[in-house]
Amino acid sequence: MPDIVDIAVSAEGFSTLVTAVKAAGLVDTLKSPGPFTVFAPTDAAFAKLPAGTITTLVQNIPQLTRILCYHVVPGRLKKADLAKFQSVGSVEGSAIDLTIEEDIFEVNNATVIQADIEADNGIIHVIDTVILMRPHWFWPIMNSKLAAAAEA
Amino acid sequence: MTTTLTTTKLPPSTHPYADVIHRLEAGGSMLPDTPENLMQIIGLYKAYAVPMDFYWRDLLYIAEQVFVDPLPFFKFIIPDEYLKLANHYAGDNADLRIWRGIDTAHPELLEFMEKGELKRKLPRILHHLWHDRINMEFAEECMRAMLWHRDMGGLLDPYMDSEEYKQNADRAIRAYVQGNPLLQGLYKLFPDMFMELCRQATMYSVLGLFWEIMAPVFFEMSDLYDEGKLTSVPEAMNFLVNGIFAIAGRPIYHRVRIRGEWYDIVPKSKGFTWLYEAAFPYVEAVFYRTSPFRGTKSYNAQANQIPTNQLDFHYGILYADKFPVGTAGIPPTLLHQDMYHFLPQYLVDYYRQHCRGDEDMLIQLGVSFQRSMYNVTSAVIQAGRAAFLYPLDDPNPRHLMMNRRYFEGQLNRFARPEYGIREAARITYIQDQNYR
Repeated sequence: MPDIVDIAVSAEGFSTLVTAVKAAGLVDTLKSPGPFTVFAPTDAAFAKLPAGTITTLVQNIPQLTRILCYHVVPGRLKKADLAKFQSVGSVEGSAIDLTIEEDIFEVNNATVIQADIEADNGIIHVIDTVILMRPHWFWPIMNSKLAAAAEA
Repeated sequence: MTTTLTTTKLPPSTHPYADVIHRLEAGGSMLPDTPENLMQIIGLYKAYAVPMDFYWRDLLYIAEQVFVDPLPFFKFIIPDEYLKLANHYAGDNADLRIWRGIDTAHPELLEFMEKGELKRKLPRILHHLWHDRINMEFAEECMRAMLWHRDMGGLLDPYMDSEEYKQNADRAIRAYVQGNPLLQGLYKLFPDMFMELCRQATMYSVLGLFWEIMAPVFFEMSDLYDEGKLTSVPEAMNFLVNGIFAIAGRPIYHRVRIRGEWYDIVPKSKGFTWLYEAAFPYVEAVFYRTSPFRGTKSYNAQANQIPTNQLDFHYGILYADKFPVGTAGIPPTLLHQDMYHFLPQYLVDYYRQHCRGDEDMLIQLGVSFQRSMYNVTSAVIQAGRAAFLYPLDDPNPRHLMMNRRYFEGQLNRFARPEYGIREAARITYIQDQNYR
């Protein structure tokens, strides 16, 4: 069975991801036995980032590597496995939030457009948006409530 | 209050600042879109960018060369090499050219450093002692707020407590004190104090690298406005949002030069970035929280006037009372004084028409500055929404609801009744053009 990198290289629509993985020197890692679960953004996902974002990242490989590592989770996790969790820890270190119901499969603010692609050394889920680490204050802000007195 | 309501798939917000929520959802800023607001904020960006061009250069000088000097008397006397240091985001050789201008110190800054308010060429030390200079104390207060609040997100904060960081710091401190028996003895006696001075130097570097980008961003916005190419408050905000994304991945690091040799304290290879390790922590620590100002106001901590939780501090620019604060020699006032020297003529003329004219220009520009920082905060809120959530025109109502939750959560920070936060926040004031 082909590995994660082979699949990304041979499939259409992942040329930005493949270029980034090569630039970051992550090819060997993603060809290793792993296993890994990779959330793979399409070219269209990268194209949604404002101008300059990729240029700066390509100029700074450790920073690019960090963003790419946020898209990788250790282990072989299909949608059904991920559905047991609200979030999973990425290789980068920060958590990736999951919203999984019957017809919904979202990671952070990205929608999985193709799930459970099997590779020799892991699983690929194709996503429509590049995901970025949510700082620790993100959920406290989302969940903040005003005391009743302030609503008046 | 001006309201920009758009046709939305959601029911109207019931938040106390629903008008502002709807404006944010329509792609606007917390600051209403009026030509007067636009003129004020752009004028202030220009007036801020010139001293900021000094701040970032001197911050890097202190981080890289003054380092852990226990008596840094001359840290504000910046050497020429730092005035000539090429900004990475301006000039012909920029990594990513944000400002079309030059990469060395701004000409208005150099002129002011030479002649000062006195308009006389004197030795720099005299200008310094007369306080006729750029007030680095403000920049240091911002740095201290970041160091003091510390865990505002990002990986740098935990890294500064790691063994790796301590070893890097120890190597550099040993090199720094080498050949100086007094400093060597002090380091042996008080190793933790030197370690903390090193963390402070790291924070000098972080803030320097952060502002190295903001100065050209603000210069470019001012140039675009002068050419008639920035015509509304949302356009100004979006310029900032795009800038934030463009340089989000810029490395944040700290290195020290001792006797010509560079020592890495926080190496670039850690992968720390401008957005996560500098910009977000800066906004959280400086715009929202900072620390209660000493001097003009008294606080009674036992009467619960100061939050017990540091996260609830609310003494940043977004809550600042520009009137009493503007009368004391405390850091934000020093910033006002710095910006006063570089106001564009259109703002000088504008301030002369209002209130007490020349007499209270510092207060008026302080209020404009507050408006301009509400716009920067709006850009950060919108950038956060774009990075972590959904486009404003997302067709999925569930996604739009998440965006609303985020906007409401952000604005709750100005609406909370605890510790008088709601009364301190200036968000309602800036909706009114007569607040000046």
